[in-house]
Amino acid sequence: MLCTLLPPTSGTATVAGLDVVSNAADVRRRIGVALQEIGLDPVQTGRELLELQCGLKGITGSEGRERTQELLELVGLTDAAERRTKTYSGGMKRRLDLASALVHSPEVLFLDEPTTGLDPASRVTIWQEVRRINADGATVFLTTQYLEEADKLCDRLAIIDGGQIVAEGTPEQLKAEMGHDVVSVSLNGASAAATEAALTGLVGLERVVVASDALALYVEDGAGLIAEIVRRLDRDRIRVGPIAVARPSLDDVFLNATGRRLEGAQDEEERP
Amino acid sequence: MTEVLLLGRRAMREVVRYPEATIPTLFIPLFFLAVNIGQVSKTFPSTTPFLKGQGYVAFQLPVSLMFAVATATSGLALVTEIDSGYFDKLLVAPIRRSSVIFGRLFADLSRGIAASALVLLVGIAFGARIQSGVLGAVVIVLLSALFGVAYAGFGILVALRTRNVQATQSSFLLFFPALFLTPNFVPFERLSSAMETLARINPISYVIVGIRSLVIDGWDVGKIGVCVLVIVLMGIVLTALSLRAIATYDR
Repeated sequence: MLCTLLPPTSGTATVAGLDVVSNAADVRRRIGVALQEIGLDPVQTGRELLELQCGLKGITGSEGRERTQELLELVGLTDAAERRTKTYSGGMKRRLDLASALVHSPEVLFLDEPTTGLDPASRVTIWQEVRRINADGATVFLTTQYLEEADKLCDRLAIIDGGQIVAEGTPEQLKAEMGHDVVSVSLNGASAAATEAALTGLVGLERVVVASDALALYVEDGAGLIAEIVRRLDRDRIRVGPIAVARPSLDDVFLNATGRRLEGAQDEEERP
Repeated sequence: MTEVLLLGRRAMREVVRYPEATIPTLFIPLFFLAVNIGQVSKTFPSTTPFLKGQGYVAFQLPVSLMFAVATATSGLALVTEIDSGYFDKLLVAPIRRSSVIFGRLFADLSRGIAASALVLLVGIAFGARIQSGVLGAVVIVLLSALFGVAYAGFGILVALRTRNVQATQSSFLLFFPALFLTPNFVPFERLSSAMETLARINPISYVIVGIRSLVIDGWDVGKIGVCVLVIVLMGIVLTALSLRAIATYDR
């Protein structure tokens, strides 16, 4: 919708200060888009594809050729520039797709899951590039299912669940809102209800989130409570797996906001 | 215009780099030309009145030209682009959506000129004489290529509406019966009355008759005029429908 590919079903939206419906053409001039499906033409070489993108954005002739060369160097594809894109690896395709979204130095860059399916090295390359683009003044609108990626790259993030924004803020704000520490207790086959009952009333316990294979205890002082947790479980003869203490992560923010982990898709239930 | 040329050049690259997509579309018209001539040339010797002293190849040549240019190539290329996501990339580019269609049609025109010139040369090699001369041959090639452009709108329309490769591929099957409900083997007057009625309401008949007149009769302004009119009307209607389909295309 924000990229002008879909009309809004209701409401309005502006991108770079322009309405996406009434000013769709102007919006397209200001945005760059790299969609989740890598939109590359397999018939063209990397260089031809970028030159075409330049041409479609009004950068023609020697200016277009120079910009193409610049972008090929930027995404490290100079050696593969004369090869057809169908011979590229997933990482190379993703980098070329990103380069094609950058030809006209857009004010707003939409990246839809730009690192999905990439190896760790390619992912880091994309992250570096996104940071650089952002540092150069472009607003980057990134959707991702990797919370680590959101944590590392975003100044502001929103978690959307069922089409609604359920949490919004900077990563630090969102994590701070979660409380102090998270103590994860792996159930290892133990009863979740019995384990939760044994731990009810712990000093500084803010809330418990029960998953099928673990309990997440949001507490003021995780390290200080470990001994008490172990003592109570021992008292009730409940044998559990590893117990770990950590600062809240965006994963915990997501779990708290949506009631489930992002990866794993197991239904979880929050208890007060 | 620059956008159209850029996209047209890119579409031409497809034609050049994927000959396996083009060669079969040339095989069919040449096959039909050879087989039809082989089967009926004794039935219709050059003394047959409607052949005006020529071999049956002259009569069949326009039909083969229709087969050579009426392809679903652009529609298939477009639906493949939709599948791969490249089409979305074009839609978010700051260009008129119509450029995507006109770029494809530009390539169809170029491809149509090359294909019809080849079929015409084969026809000449088989003994056809172009009564309207060299200029007539050029007009035959152009009319055939323009018919291909007009027809391409149909494949593009199906591609945009269905977004389905099989449906787009099958769109060509609709052309097949339409091509046979024409005076493709004999003139209108030699068809059965039911077939003649169908042939006379089929616009493709008049394209064949117009091109055939350039091969057999020379310059028959009336027949050529009707042929041009049919191609233009068909082109306007199908291109307009394609433009409407792309203008209202949502992801």
